[in-house]
Amino acid sequence: MASIGRAIVRVPKKVKKGEVFKVQMVIIHPMETGLRKDPKTGKKIPAHYITHVDFYFNDKLVTRINSSPGISKNPYFAIKMKAQESGTLKIVYEDNKGNKWEKSVNITVEG
Amino acid sequence: MKRREFIKLTALTALGVFLGSGALRSASAKITLEEALKKHLGVGLSQIKESDKVKIKAPSIAESGANVPIQVSADVPVEQVESLHIFVDKNPNPFIASVDFSPMNGEVFFATRIKMGATSPVRAILKLKDGTYLMASKEVKVTVGGCG
Repeated sequence: MASIGRAIVRVPKKVKKGEVFKVQMVIIHPMETGLRKDPKTGKKIPAHYITHVDFYFNDKLVTRINSSPGISKNPYFAIKMKAQESGTLKIVYEDNKGNKWEKSVNITVEG
Repeated sequence: MKRREFIKLTALTALGVFLGSGALRSASAKITLEEALKKHLGVGLSQIKESDKVKIKAPSIAESGANVPIQVSADVPVEQVESLHIFVDKNPNPFIASVDFSPMNGEVFFATRIKMGATSPVRAILKLKDGTYLMASKEVKVTVGGCG
């Protein structure tokens, strides 16, 4: 799990002004519930999961997702949004162990 | 005859062990849907009305409870919506996720993949800015649970 916290974000290359488009992402993360036991040692594996994901466009908060261990391993999230001008979509996400990551993508608005 | 009895017995024992472990686990940490709703929304199920304005897409039968795709949308302007909350009745903790919207979302939409421990309704509850709640639910059959 060396790549834990790595994310892949997919957005359209270009969008029209005010057009609603989809933002999809996958985060590499184990999403342990804390209920599962290690089959080798019989000990409980501590809970380890993404707690929230914030989407900022040009530093304005668009959406917050409050997550839980009920979300599958390597979480997939998709939301929709619209933009009036080109800019940067910054996605900030954290887990319950205090790890924090961010990933930015550019969005080009034409017309 | 003997062989048949033997098979029956082993089958019953296996079932007993399976049910027993399930019961033990649920007794240790299980939260009911009603408790989860009160904690996250501050209201009970009776105060939430079903509405066909909320749409939830999920498979009728999930191959694996570890990975059930769901998608929620709504025929309600996003400007009137505060947040969306996803619950699975039969999970050890029914709360799955919530989403806070803003007008920049353009429309109400959320998709993800969730874990399900057993066959259960999946509920999408929309909290509107006027303080009311709208809900859609979909029963998903799970053959192999994924909450381990």
